Amino acid sequence: MKTLALLASLAVGAVLLYGTKDFPAWGDPQSPASVHLSPHYIQNAVAETHVPNLVTAVLGDYRGYDTMFETVVIFCAGAAVVSVLRRSKS
Amino acid sequence: MESVLSVIVAKYNYWVYVVLMMIGFYAMIGKRNLVKKLIGMNIFQTAIILFFVSTGVKRGGGIPILDKYEVLEHGVRVASVDNPLPHVLMLTAIVVSVSVTGVALAILQRIHREYGTLEEDEILEKIGR
Repeated sequence: MKTLALLASLAVGAVLLYGTKDFPAWGDPQSPASVHLSPHYIQNAVAETHVPNLVTAVLGDYRGYDTMFETVVIFCAGAAVVSVLRRSKS
Repeated sequence: MESVLSVIVAKYNYWVYVVLMMIGFYAMIGKRNLVKKLIGMNIFQTAIILFFVSTGVKRGGGIPILDKYEVLEHGVRVASVDNPLPHVLMLTAIVVSVSVTGVALAILQRIHREYGTLEEDEILEKIGR
């Protein structure tokens, strides 16, 4: 059982290591993640939202609904914890 | 030799996360104790979070907090600021992982109250009889 788990995790690790062959180099400013969408936010976020912290600007202004439903996730987790741990009267 | 060294310098951050993910994955499927499985899941999530945050790094870039008045007057050079979007997405992922961990710990406590143990095989034995 343990050797099977070890073999499975080694196989997954080998596949992932093979996948890093095509990844951009670390810290490359021209990597695909940094040239497609984020330049728009970096250039326009301060003018559009007047928030100097770009992470907060995207989180609170551009993606406000997403953040609101994140608090719903926290609420659901709390409700689940309470309902799981509650002791019944009987 | 030179090219091998440059490949190592360019890619070693991904390899660190792959190794972390392997550790977490082995803990999830190889360990019998349910708390150890949960810790393995947390290691796995941490590896993914570190991986995403590392994709936002730019060489020669600073943190994505800008001087408001300077930006409004002179604009900003994109290459001098780290990519803020992975940070935002990982903030969401951290919220979800904390919620999942909390619910899982509650369920583990309930299992321990019900069966008196957290070892998987002992629980299966008690369910089977």
